[in-house]
Amino acid sequence: MKQPKQSNQSVSEGKDGRRLQQFIPPEGVPITLAIASLGSRLGAQILDIIFTSLFILVCAFAIVFTGGLPENAATILIILLGFLLRTPYYVLSELIWNGRTLGKRITGIRVINVDGRRLTPHQVTARNLMKEVEIFVPMGLLFTIGAQSALEAWLTVLWLLAVVIVPLANRRRQRIGDVIAGTLVVDNPRSVLLSDLALSSPAKASSQPAFEFLPEHLDIYGKYELQTLEDVLRDTTKKPNTEEIIKIVRTITRRIRFEDAVKPGQEMLFLNDFYRAQREHLESLKLFGKARENKYHEHTKTEAKKLV
Amino acid sequence: MTDLRIDPRMDSGTTPYAGGVPNDLLRSARFRLEREAHWRQLDQLVTRAEAGGAAALSYDEVRNLAAGYRQAMNSLSVARDISLDRALVAYLESLCARAYLVAYAPQESLGGLMSRLLLRGIPQAVRRSGLPLFIGFLALVLGAFAGYRLCSSDPSWFYTFVPPGMADLRTPDASADYLRSTIYGDERHEGDGLAAFSAFLFSHNTGIAVLIFALGVFMSVPSFILTFYNGLMLGAFFAMFRQKGMGYDVFAWLSIHGVTELAAISIACAGGAGLGLAVLLPGARTRKDALRHQAHDAVKLAILAALMLVVAAFIEGFLRQLVQDPTWRLVIGWGMGVFWVGWLMLGGREGRASREPVR
Repeated sequence: MKQPKQSNQSVSEGKDGRRLQQFIPPEGVPITLAIASLGSRLGAQILDIIFTSLFILVCAFAIVFTGGLPENAATILIILLGFLLRTPYYVLSELIWNGRTLGKRITGIRVINVDGRRLTPHQVTARNLMKEVEIFVPMGLLFTIGAQSALEAWLTVLWLLAVVIVPLANRRRQRIGDVIAGTLVVDNPRSVLLSDLALSSPAKASSQPAFEFLPEHLDIYGKYELQTLEDVLRDTTKKPNTEEIIKIVRTITRRIRFEDAVKPGQEMLFLNDFYRAQREHLESLKLFGKARENKYHEHTKTEAKKLV
Repeated sequence: MTDLRIDPRMDSGTTPYAGGVPNDLLRSARFRLEREAHWRQLDQLVTRAEAGGAAALSYDEVRNLAAGYRQAMNSLSVARDISLDRALVAYLESLCARAYLVAYAPQESLGGLMSRLLLRGIPQAVRRSGLPLFIGFLALVLGAFAGYRLCSSDPSWFYTFVPPGMADLRTPDASADYLRSTIYGDERHEGDGLAAFSAFLFSHNTGIAVLIFALGVFMSVPSFILTFYNGLMLGAFFAMFRQKGMGYDVFAWLSIHGVTELAAISIACAGGAGLGLAVLLPGARTRKDALRHQAHDAVKLAILAALMLVVAAFIEGFLRQLVQDPTWRLVIGWGMGVFWVGWLMLGGREGRASREPVR
């Protein structure tokens, strides 16, 4: 079956509103990763700033209180330390932990290469050098905004706006440094393997399912409805026999014109059986190259015929 | 249709359902039962590698990781074709993404990276960026010249160029004795004031250098202006001391760290100018591509500038207070200059063939 042709850098909207970046590693199988939200990136940045400033503070205290150095040498040393803990900290930690700083590790995000290849040292350096202009200098200017003249204050505000707007206006949430380096910040993927509903259904206990579905029953729905049903069945907060479940069962039986009445108490059994039968049916259709997206598949077919 | 054959290497392991997969199951459920054990095995390896890096794994485990990664990728593409179980596809997606991130982690050591950068990357980048370097040094020299001429003709220009915070008390109104004492730190000025001032100067210049570099993206102009302005201040300072008859002394005072520090600022400007030139004159490439290409060299220039600034800070903080003789100041300052030029011109020349940018 042919995969639809995808560019290496397509962005789509996920089901839960997250943006998904699809990219193709050298193996040729497209992988999707969720683009990190600006909130978690901001959180990671704030954490990193806290960590580095704490470290500098501790070192400064240690240098001053041990008092082994002449005063001007101590000052130079502390300032050098401050210099080393800015851009070099981000570059080195992202190199060592493959795209993660301490803050990023905590908030569960990481930097990846847009090209689908490994992150290069050049990219890490480039994106973090730009961080100076995009984050540290505007931050410093913001602290002195009281002492600035009107023109300077306006320039600071303009600068801040430009820096904030770029990742907001950008589909992939890249800041200027990311664009230049060709990198992307994504959520760390987490994987949980849920049980297979087709196996765990109660019908498995008895060899014969309680409900029989005819092909015309199964010809109504498509992939979208099946996976919506999957969500309902997997949702552990929904208890059987609630109003909602009964309503879902009623809707399905009416829509597929299922004649047998579903007895009270058998709703979950019905849904599980229907899920299994529908999935089997759709998967075999898929096998023959007749994949169906949703319940409108028949309409689209007739409309397509009309157009021809 | 897609081949469901299992990789024989992977199938040799023990599967809980090996040989006993019920035939009445859905095709996609069978597919999952047959391979689930491998996925879980890969999952465990990836989890360990994520926590401790690839070094935490033994040789066999790394081999299993690589084989498992390829097998999981295969499973993912098959599952996308045959399975409508969204939970399964989502699991495989995330497992493959995690395994991918582990498999394609940077493989070189930090030490190797540094030595390659110092021995080849930076010198080669410098030799490739003739035009940006010319622009960077031109900005500084023009600024210094203009500042010198203006302040020589009318000392009041000094107050326009040099912000009061930087000048401290060193203004054209100060006495020659005071100015001399700032150059040759005697007991009264050796204390907090001067050290704090040179530390301030360092962090100021570092900030300037970073700004000069990064602002270059906006078509080089801000880089040029900032460097030019730095040159103006330099020229103004020099003109002021010159008028009090201390031209030689201040030249030595500036040389000991200034050769390194001012060169660093010019190099930062060159990096910025390179980025700006890529935007202005992208040539056959698109602007974005040109920028990305030029960034390889520009970033190395920025690293070089940072290195030189750190060295300059040490000279400024320690050597300049210790070495009071102007001749020695000149020798150390310009000796450093010769060292930089020698390294940048001679480093990494072994192969004519390898003119490709080192990443």
